[in-house]
Amino acid sequence: MAMKGFIRKFKPLEILSEEQFQAIHKATLDVLQNVGIRIEHKRALQLLEKNDCQVDYTNMRAKFPPGLVEECLQKCPSSFRVKARDPQNDLIMGGNTIYFGPAPGKQTVNLDTWEPREATRKEAYEGLTILDALPNVHFLPSYTPYFGFEGLPPVMRIPEICAAKLRNTTKWFFEGYSNDCEIFVIQMAQALGIDIMESVLASPPLTFYGETVECAFRLAEAGMPGRVLPGAVCGATAPATIAGSTVTANAEIIAGVVLLQLMRPGMRVEVKDFTFPQNMRTGSPAFANIGVSLHGVLFAQIWRRYGIPSGMTTAYPSSKIPDFQCGYEKAIIALMAALSGVNLQLVQGAIHGELTHHPVQAIIDDDLVGMIGRFLEGVEVNEETLALDLIAQVGPIPGEYLSKEHTRKWWRKEQFVPQVADTWTYPEWIKRGKKSAVDYAKEKMDQILATHKPTPLTPNQEKDIERILEDARTFYKEKGML
Amino acid sequence: MSAEILSNLKKALRDYDQEGCIVWAQKAVAEGVDPLKATEALMEVMQEVGDGFTRGDFFLPDLIAAGSTMTAATSILNAEIKKRGLQRRSMGTVVIGTVFGDIHSIGKDMVGTLLAAAGFTVHDLGIDVKAEQFITAVRQHQPDILAMSALLTTTAKEQKVVIEALKKEGLREKVKVMIGGGAIDQTFANSIGADGYAPTAPEGIVLAKSLSGK
Repeated sequence: MAMKGFIRKFKPLEILSEEQFQAIHKATLDVLQNVGIRIEHKRALQLLEKNDCQVDYTNMRAKFPPGLVEECLQKCPSSFRVKARDPQNDLIMGGNTIYFGPAPGKQTVNLDTWEPREATRKEAYEGLTILDALPNVHFLPSYTPYFGFEGLPPVMRIPEICAAKLRNTTKWFFEGYSNDCEIFVIQMAQALGIDIMESVLASPPLTFYGETVECAFRLAEAGMPGRVLPGAVCGATAPATIAGSTVTANAEIIAGVVLLQLMRPGMRVEVKDFTFPQNMRTGSPAFANIGVSLHGVLFAQIWRRYGIPSGMTTAYPSSKIPDFQCGYEKAIIALMAALSGVNLQLVQGAIHGELTHHPVQAIIDDDLVGMIGRFLEGVEVNEETLALDLIAQVGPIPGEYLSKEHTRKWWRKEQFVPQVADTWTYPEWIKRGKKSAVDYAKEKMDQILATHKPTPLTPNQEKDIERILEDARTFYKEKGML
Repeated sequence: MSAEILSNLKKALRDYDQEGCIVWAQKAVAEGVDPLKATEALMEVMQEVGDGFTRGDFFLPDLIAAGSTMTAATSILNAEIKKRGLQRRSMGTVVIGTVFGDIHSIGKDMVGTLLAAAGFTVHDLGIDVKAEQFITAVRQHQPDILAMSALLTTTAKEQKVVIEALKKEGLREKVKVMIGGGAIDQTFANSIGADGYAPTAPEGIVLAKSLSGK
């Protein structure tokens, strides 16, 4: 058994012609071979040199021959399982399966003013309880739901959030890295016998810092899966064009993939597009800009050809409140990504960019994901769904279908019934106090918190996690960081 | 035995299993189970469905299926009640139908089923019901309430025709008239001399309770 997710039952959306695909692929190989990637890690450079890369140690730059690239792309499994605390929540990545997870935020928001503020530990734990309960949250990403919480020293953020996830959900998750914290994240995964995937993050343009490469070595040694992604901004750290920034992103990701496959051949790798156009008003990433979708759809098409499971840029809105803008931004980004055939996507909960997250938004977004998931499942056409016998039996007026068993059997399978969307008539809407999806989501949040109890760790597991956290505290104290 | 029959009867209704409901109703009669108790057991389930529908947890296909399944069983139980000379406790009697020229049944079915779930005795005349059919039914069943539905603006005025016919036949003072449907609002209800109007099915039930005075 594994988490079901959604299965796309039709061809994915592809917008690149074969000629365009080949042009981007060739340009990517050209960048890798002739421009090269800066990798600030001596051991990694040595490993690359041993495998036919041309290495300049002074500039820490490695140039990748196309043969090595092809070989390493082929070594990556096209489909693989990752283990969750509850085996029923394992994911099987790849193929036509798409899994949805929440989009985290640095902070929470005040529900009256919608202004950001730091979350408390209680709010972080409650946020995880909500995500554990939501049916269309299939896994959790790093820094979720918040990048930290009140009173938490910066170096302890990832280990503490990792422990919080283990304590509050049995769903599978991945984590970030920072200041060697992956040592403790890996230990927690090993203590529980699960897989925690961590990021190997390129820093565009064309650079990997030493810290992330060190994390990659640790993941490879521990046999954990890795996800390679660059966080690029088109027009700032990548070319402003969709095609050009796809080339740089692909070159960066391929360099990471090559490194991981040289460290551990056959290592489980997922790749992610995390590219945004630049908001030329403010200099920040242009969240939910349509360029995000164009970039992501190209990315999905290319990495499907490379045969490696992929994830797409998160459905982060530019809006600051759950309003019309927030809705269309999320819906377009999430739907395009789903149609493009990516395997992982982050949607539920983000309010503004990756700056804020709230359970109320996550509950609303869970309906959005349910709608998209239902669409992906497509249409069943068979004798029963064609309903020819029934059509003949009902005939013209006064025949009707509402009272038929066929309707009772099929309507729920054919429709998606949202949990918190307002779908009442005008009179009902007025009678119920003119409530919106936000009002219903607030009620749903209270109801989940009152009734849903995530499966706790066993006392021994809890002891292990607390011991690893204590080791982390000691480690950072000795380094003078705590 | 009686408890088992009642529990199976309720289960059949919960499953919208019309055949099962008929079988268990017949069994109840054959085994001498109090038909009033059997009806009450069914009413409990109808109440669950009706409340669930009003909350939004149950849907139209549930309501309609529960209504028709219930009707199949109650026709058997009602015959037994009559045979034993018993009286079913009722919130009141309602004659309901969609007016002449209008074949829209869903709104009327929702109200009819919810009324039955709330404990009213409901006589559903169906759709496209002519004024004289309403008059005949009012004479026959002597209801507390006559409920009419019209979805279309073109058929809404038919409700006035029925009210005028009631007056002509000297029946208007003997029955409360409530109306509803997509084409109706309070102003229209006032203009044709109806006793009440409700914009939604659940509010229609509240209105019926107030009109019947029970």
